[in-house]
Amino acid sequence: MPGYSEFYFNVDHGYLEGLVRGFKGGILTSADYVNLAQCETLEDLKLHLQTTDYGNFLANETGPLTVSTIDEKLKTKLLTEFHYFRNHAFEPLATFLNFVTYNYMIDNVILLITGTLHQRPIAELVPKCHPLGSFEQMEAVSIASNPTELFNAILVDTPLAAFFQDCLSENDLDEMNIEIMRNKLYKSYLEAFYKFCEKQGGTTAEIMRPILEFEADRRAFIITINSFGTELSKDDREKLYPTCGKLYPEGLHLLANADDYEQVKCVAEYYAEYKAVFEGVGSGTGEKTLEDAFFEHEVKLNVLAFNNQFHFGVFYAYVKLKEQECRNIVWIAECISQRHRTKINNYIPIF
Amino acid sequence: MGSLFRSEEVCLAQLFLQSASAYSCISELGERGLLEFRDLNPKVSPFQRRFVGEVRRCEEMEKTFTFLQQELRAAGRVLGPCPESPRAPAAREALRVQEQSEQLAQELREVSRNRASLRGRLQDLRQYLHVLREGQRFTSLPAPLGSPPRPRALSEREPILDPSLHQHLERKISFVAGVIHPWRVTAFERLLWRACRGYLVASFVEMPEPMEDPATGESITWVIFLISYWGEQIGQKIRKISACFHCQVYAYPESEASRTEAITRLHSQIQELSVTLEETEKYLAEVLDKVAQVLPTWRVQVQKMKAIYLVLNQCSFDVTKKCLIAEVWCPVRDLTQVQDALRQGSVSGSVHQGLFRVPMSLCLGFLVSYVFMSRVCWCPHVLVPGVVLCLHVVFVGLLSVPMSSCQRFLGVPVSPHHGGPCARLERIVGLVPRTGSGCWGLVPGRGLLRGGCRGQAPRARQESARRARIRFWVLFLQYQSGSSVECFVQRVPTSESPPTLIRTNKFTAGFQSIVDAYGVASYQEVNPAPYAIITFPFIFAIMFGDVGHGLLMFLFALWMVLYEDSPRLRQGTNEIWLTFFEGRYLILLMGAFSIYTGFIYNECFSKATVIFPSAWSVATMANHSSWSSAYLATHPSLTLDPNVTGVFRGPYPFGIDPIWSLATNHLNFLNSFKMKMSVVLGIVHMGFGVVLGVFNHVHFQQRHRLVLEFLPEMIFLLALFGYLVFLIFYKWIKFSAADSRVAPSILIHFIDMFLFTSNAENLPLYPGQVPVQMVLVVLALASVPVLLLGTPLYQWCRQGASRMPVTTGEQEPLLEGQEAGNSVNATTEDVESGGHSPAAKHLDFAEIFMHQAIHTIEYCLGCVSNTASYLRLWALSLAHAQLSEVLWTMVMRNGFVGLSYVGGVVLVPVFTAFAVLTVAILLVMEGLSAFLHALRLHWVEFQNKFYVGAGYKLCPFAFAPDTWE
Repeated sequence: MPGYSEFYFNVDHGYLEGLVRGFKGGILTSADYVNLAQCETLEDLKLHLQTTDYGNFLANETGPLTVSTIDEKLKTKLLTEFHYFRNHAFEPLATFLNFVTYNYMIDNVILLITGTLHQRPIAELVPKCHPLGSFEQMEAVSIASNPTELFNAILVDTPLAAFFQDCLSENDLDEMNIEIMRNKLYKSYLEAFYKFCEKQGGTTAEIMRPILEFEADRRAFIITINSFGTELSKDDREKLYPTCGKLYPEGLHLLANADDYEQVKCVAEYYAEYKAVFEGVGSGTGEKTLEDAFFEHEVKLNVLAFNNQFHFGVFYAYVKLKEQECRNIVWIAECISQRHRTKINNYIPIF
Repeated sequence: MGSLFRSEEVCLAQLFLQSASAYSCISELGERGLLEFRDLNPKVSPFQRRFVGEVRRCEEMEKTFTFLQQELRAAGRVLGPCPESPRAPAAREALRVQEQSEQLAQELREVSRNRASLRGRLQDLRQYLHVLREGQRFTSLPAPLGSPPRPRALSEREPILDPSLHQHLERKISFVAGVIHPWRVTAFERLLWRACRGYLVASFVEMPEPMEDPATGESITWVIFLISYWGEQIGQKIRKISACFHCQVYAYPESEASRTEAITRLHSQIQELSVTLEETEKYLAEVLDKVAQVLPTWRVQVQKMKAIYLVLNQCSFDVTKKCLIAEVWCPVRDLTQVQDALRQGSVSGSVHQGLFRVPMSLCLGFLVSYVFMSRVCWCPHVLVPGVVLCLHVVFVGLLSVPMSSCQRFLGVPVSPHHGGPCARLERIVGLVPRTGSGCWGLVPGRGLLRGGCRGQAPRARQESARRARIRFWVLFLQYQSGSSVECFVQRVPTSESPPTLIRTNKFTAGFQSIVDAYGVASYQEVNPAPYAIITFPFIFAIMFGDVGHGLLMFLFALWMVLYEDSPRLRQGTNEIWLTFFEGRYLILLMGAFSIYTGFIYNECFSKATVIFPSAWSVATMANHSSWSSAYLATHPSLTLDPNVTGVFRGPYPFGIDPIWSLATNHLNFLNSFKMKMSVVLGIVHMGFGVVLGVFNHVHFQQRHRLVLEFLPEMIFLLALFGYLVFLIFYKWIKFSAADSRVAPSILIHFIDMFLFTSNAENLPLYPGQVPVQMVLVVLALASVPVLLLGTPLYQWCRQGASRMPVTTGEQEPLLEGQEAGNSVNATTEDVESGGHSPAAKHLDFAEIFMHQAIHTIEYCLGCVSNTASYLRLWALSLAHAQLSEVLWTMVMRNGFVGLSYVGGVVLVPVFTAFAVLTVAILLVMEGLSAFLHALRLHWVEFQNKFYVGAGYKLCPFAFAPDTWE
């Protein structure tokens, strides 16, 4: 019932929305980051995190603290929260939350396939997967030798099957093909997610639209930049671009014809927000990379999602913000443990 | 009572803690729970503080304890509470605790790891056994049959294959067998089918007995699978898939004979393993016993230790780094006790050092004597003086042991005032400690000289500063020389408002919490709680006046009071119940007062009781008007005329005459009575509140407010509403039943008073009434501008008058402040607040005026509205009486059907209904509503006349016994 969903939103999703807003209050502030960045050792970091909403999440770690344990614990915490949301969600929020996890599932599948290609044992790869995107058949991915087999044998009854339509081929799985597969999967995923949000209508669509559009455009930019110097043809490249962004269709055409970074930048000039993003990027050390600039923009969009009520965007935004927070903490922890303090301030503050 | 009247005097004090004994001092203070510590390093983040290492060590230990506790819990043991409250461990003991706990944890970890691996191994073997046994069913079948018609996939293809090839295939059938988690079975099967395109036969069967999942510890009925397949490629794939699904795969021998052999081998292995496992479990139980014995005490000890270090982290270090300075809020009454605690703490802290020195001095003595004796020849006659000298040296060495520790060993009470090297030194320098206040001489401090000595003559101030400086250097020298200096407490003047401390006992705590719920009293403000002890239950009882209901409430509270020590009542987890329990004394008094007001209203479950004979005589009236039987039969209501002599024989001795309960104008009579009573009580209550303000003004040295605030407020209240009370009483006394027809209406008179008119129909109450009233109204109105402008103008004038002297007086503290700038006690807050106060005061004038304007408007309007507000007393008591009346007539009366046995039977359910409704509606609901209204009357109508309630509570640092689980 688009348009009127606000009236009964609270009946089904009010509790979870309240919860996610409460959780949002626990996201670290810039004051916290300043304190974290002052830490001398990981123990200090832990001590400081104890004063935040993270509480005693590292209290039961025996043995010396490492960055990977911190990372793992951070992810576990996010996973617990997310599972709580998912288990208490009604339709259509449940589907929405599922869509959030597909993103990670795609990443995991690609990670496993790439890993197997490089002859890594599966036991070593599984811990590297993001826990949000783990699914039952995930580990069997490694037995497939080409995309069709992958689809027919393993992914056919996972939610990812729907996104696989475009990438069925008998080609062997080499690096290039994997990358193409990932991008095609992402493209279908983003488009499907976008369509789903549009179908929800109301505030959800309103909030999710800019976020997903940005996501699509970011992928288009990154695909273009990464494809320079590879054997990917321009036509093939254009096929990989998600079509639900602001760049569609003219911008994507232009991107498809771009030959170097400067031309990509020229394309971005036509769009106010991307112009700002590209302008913030510097090439020197200590300046922002394009990736960071994109992350920063994403954080900005996600924070905006909390300004409205009665929509699902907050859940997506919360997961993304929390993920960014994990990245920040891990970054700071890495800098501390490697005694590489000059770059410690390259985190992206959220609030 | 003295302490309940206003909050106790609390002073800011500094504790000088020697770093060696700081820990034991804080421990001692924590045991007594006297002081609130202030954070002196608020800007330092938690991990940059001084004792962060120690705090972390405590956390390490807690982590170990958590592990131990988890192990205990996993073994199904419940950790008992700590039997007694152990003191915080000394450094050495803490080390011991840490060592032992880590050792235990290590041991436990090893044993449980052993046990886990043994268990895993055992389970593995068992599963293998089951796999082999169950597999038997599938693989032993075809042998007698001889032909392989079983698998579907194969049988379809059979005709195509040529027999020789088939024979060849048959030999190459191999198996993969293992166990899988039951949830994964379907996905596993599906994937197998898809990935291998059906070139396999998989059979699944549930294991006959459930087994533990090593990852989660749950008991699960695993599923055994046996897959037969053809070809190595597929075998590889199957193995990979089963690895992905976390299956346990076991080698499955191909021949029947080797399978039986494997089974027997497994049997014997399982048996061996179980014996070992049993031994391990026994050992584990022993270790757990040990843990369970010591863990509760350790936990409490380490928690205390951590709390102490957290407090120490709030202290600052002085320049010499030998001494910690803590800032505390301390009740002045407890200063001696604090000093006592510090003394004890420093004794126990330095005792180790002292002990250390005894063997040291002995060694020194012997060394000297040895050298002496070896130098001087071995002549025997030289030996005697040598021994004497040697003994002398030993004696001198002993003397250097700190006096306090010696005295402690000898059992002599240690005092800083006499005895001990430090006192001696002091006497030499010419300082005598000020024994009276329990704190010692002054130490140079900027804030001190600024704020505290303002009244003193400059000469005296200099003198005290000089003494303070000497005192400081004495202490400093003592630290340097390493002699035992006790930690001491030292008052520091402050401009900040100290926290509020009101000591309560179990009786007053409930009443105090009612006041605190509105706002904690400002420092040293008059505390309304002692008056609430009486007024609160009384005002409640006015609204709840019924002997029966009051008695029930009283008995309920009495039960709680009598059994208050029983742990079952005390440790209830129900929040609602605990609320009632906390207020048991309040409920007790409310019940008692309700009985009293019930007697005045003469109501017991809405029925009047005849305690004394009624003052009204019906017989006299009947005789007088010669009522005939026929007259009585036709007239259901009769009038008793009090003007007829003999009918009304003077007032009823106590409360309301029971005859009123029969009268039809009962309600009219009671309404008039209760309304007037409410107004009278309300005005008395409010007037009392205004009077309490006097104590505040006097105590805070604001005598101008007596004239400029209290007086106009009182005049306003009394001239208008006090006069109303007077009128009520006057009319009661002046007019009797005889002239009741011509009695004037107070209400009309009161309205006329404000309008400055007189009403011809309403007779004056007394001659000269109009001028008196006019004077009163003018007086009341005149007091309003006084109230509005008095205080602001007074402060304005004072400020104008004192502006010149202030600027000159300001110089002096600044100079001295500079001098004492690097003193250890000068805190930045003192300096800042001292420097800016005159300027700040000047800016405040507009605010003062606004504040006073608001106060005036609120007070004047409040007098009117609050008086009206007290009418709720009348309304609620009326409602209560009517409700209980309704309950009686509409429920209980239905039970009185006759004096037969049937009536008795009917009475039982009717009484049940009556009792339940009485408790639920009249006692609980009405009680709560009356309680709320009484609360409101206290908070709003009474307390806003004098109570600010802008303070904050003193929360002392204490090892409260109930905080340890």
